[in-house]
Amino acid sequence: MTKKADILLVDDDPDIRDSIKLILEANNYEVRTAPNGKAALEELKKKTPDLMILDIMMNTDTEGFDLAYALKSNPQFQNLPIIILTSFLEKVRAEGPDQFQHILGEEWPAKWLFEKPVDSKKLLAKIEGILGGG
Amino acid sequence: MSIELEGGMTNFPEELERRKRIIAEELKDRTLWFVQLRWWVPPSIVAVTVIAKFLRVEFPTVPLFVVAFLMLAYNVVLYVMGKQITDSPVLDINFIQQYTFWQVGLDYASMFLLIHYTGGAASPLIFFFIFHIIFASILLPPRVAYGFSAISAIGMAIIAGAEYLNIIPHHALYFRGRAINLAEQPFHVMVELAFFTASVFITAFSVTSIMKMLRKRIVDLAELTEKVNDLNNKLQSLYAMVQAIGGALRLEQVLKIVTTELATVMNVKATSVKLLSEDHKTLRYASAFGLPQELVEGKKTIELAKSPLNKRIIEGEPYVTGKVSDRDAFQFGEELAKARIQSVLFVPLIFENKVIGILGAYCEKADRFQKADVEFFQLAGGLIAIALENARAYEEIENLVNERSRFMMRVAHNLRAPLAAMLSILEVVKDGYKGELNDEQKEYLRRVDRRARTMIDLVNELLLLSQSRATNRKPIFEAVDIKFIAGRIERTFQDEARDKGIILKISVPAEPLIIQGNPLGIEQMLENLVSNAIKYTPSGGKVEVSMTQSNSGIKIEVSDTGIGIPKEEKHKLFSEFFRASNAKAIEEIGTGLGLAIVKEIVDQHNGKIMVESEEGLGTIFVIYLPLSQEGNKNENRSEL
Repeated sequence: MTKKADILLVDDDPDIRDSIKLILEANNYEVRTAPNGKAALEELKKKTPDLMILDIMMNTDTEGFDLAYALKSNPQFQNLPIIILTSFLEKVRAEGPDQFQHILGEEWPAKWLFEKPVDSKKLLAKIEGILGGG
Repeated sequence: MSIELEGGMTNFPEELERRKRIIAEELKDRTLWFVQLRWWVPPSIVAVTVIAKFLRVEFPTVPLFVVAFLMLAYNVVLYVMGKQITDSPVLDINFIQQYTFWQVGLDYASMFLLIHYTGGAASPLIFFFIFHIIFASILLPPRVAYGFSAISAIGMAIIAGAEYLNIIPHHALYFRGRAINLAEQPFHVMVELAFFTASVFITAFSVTSIMKMLRKRIVDLAELTEKVNDLNNKLQSLYAMVQAIGGALRLEQVLKIVTTELATVMNVKATSVKLLSEDHKTLRYASAFGLPQELVEGKKTIELAKSPLNKRIIEGEPYVTGKVSDRDAFQFGEELAKARIQSVLFVPLIFENKVIGILGAYCEKADRFQKADVEFFQLAGGLIAIALENARAYEEIENLVNERSRFMMRVAHNLRAPLAAMLSILEVVKDGYKGELNDEQKEYLRRVDRRARTMIDLVNELLLLSQSRATNRKPIFEAVDIKFIAGRIERTFQDEARDKGIILKISVPAEPLIIQGNPLGIEQMLENLVSNAIKYTPSGGKVEVSMTQSNSGIKIEVSDTGIGIPKEEKHKLFSEFFRASNAKAIEEIGTGLGLAIVKEIVDQHNGKIMVESEEGLGTIFVIYLPLSQEGNKNENRSEL
């Protein structure tokens, strides 16, 4: 691998950020982190990452979704691969029609979704797959 | 009561018109019936003539046949005109009366001719006049009946007189060659005519007198019938309203049904439900039927200061009626007048002694609303007030449920977040990112990991269960392909089963298995059952899932060759936090919520779950899910 892939990790939980960052870095990725949607946007503007890992519930219940949709409608970022990482997969599924109606009614903003706590081996395999065996 | 009920008494011209119509309806039927009867007269004349000739009664035959032919001819004309009357959508009383006069006139002319040719005053036919007089007495005004009597008497007098004076020829009847010639005995003729005259007048008098009484009864009866119909309609309308209010409908729908129903049954142009604002200064339209759109959809608010009629209701009057021509009484009088509304009736919507709004009716007629309308309207107002309060209470409950749901979601998130973070950090250490660990350290960290994961499962499952119980409302049901879910279950568990040395076999029929249900719920249910089966089946065992379709539903069997459930614990199987003693012995950790969730989901689908188990041999869960939720009351109601 000539150049390290650049991953932006967005999560409001510092321990999640630290631990996943550590695991990713140990596996030869360059990792930037952001604790919320706004900080994430700033990081995105600095440099478009190769991949983004995104939490859903941060300051608001749908901050991650909102960011993902904003990026999808922006030509600069619409091809950015996003992995959603949430501790509320079960909840999103079960309560979808009510709580997240404005989101689930539309096309899903991210192709990949992991439930916390994430199995780091599976996550690494997925990232590797997305970045083309990088 | 501050306002006199205008038009509270019977409206006379209207009433009279109505009575006339009832009689006219009858007259129409009878007068047309007369046309039918008349078809029999010409053949009868011919037949009687032939029989009379056979009995050797002699009289001029040809004129009688001519009269018979004429009767046939004018009856054809009357028949054609009668068709017009039948086909006409409106009842033209004058036309029907004239039509009747023409019938009687033509019949009289024919009668006079027949009598003239069959012996004049001596003719046996003279008593046939009685028929028309009875008919007229029954269905036409009394003076007409007396008129007909007079015409027949005078006509007969003229015929007798003219024949006697030889102004017209006398055609005597001959019986077996002998003339029955009364004309030669003027006194006899006069007496006969006098009695004939008396007979027709007495007939007219008695029948009209009886009819006067009967007619009144007919009208009373018709009125009563109308009143009963009206009451019946009102009752049905009230019933429809009660049903609407009792049904689990949205308030908007209830009010829409109620306003439409009321407008129809009261036969008014428009109805409205207006609600009082918090500050008691304005009203807004909550629902309306038939009112101008700019009033209702424009969301105009009615200011009590500008609307004296509304103000009086809010201040406690039991009802008010008003004329739109009195423009000062209305804030939107112009709009109402433009919609051709002339009179209004307002009653309060009262709940717990407080006026919460106003029910209004609007009519295109002036002074339309009478005592019965007011009473009925107040009744309807009572029902609507209940509906409004129901809706408010329901809304509050819904808010509470939502609040609780949001709270539970937050709690679960906040319980899970530190656990997830903990596990994430643990993984860093456990997987050796911070330096190699010895086996003992690894084993202890594995235990920490397992307990933390159980904790997360517990939070998940508690959340699921509380969600499902917090809302009585069912999740939206859709067509669920159970075969598809079976495929997913197989993929989810095949590795786990293989690793544990268990055969996992899922058999489904060739045809699709579609039911109406909640796909996430059904998948969760199967996940829980299969996961349990694998967990409690020792290596070398077998877990089987089979699905079959019957006429009314789908049967799912999940069987294993596992440890089974102790008989004495079976009854507790589906209760929360229950774990069988032999299960605890194998796997210390478990939430005890898996089967409670399965039960919850089966119930949600109106299904059944049964369990057969033999300790040490295995367990079979049999689930039956109906194909659709039709006939399920709750579901139907929420879809109305």
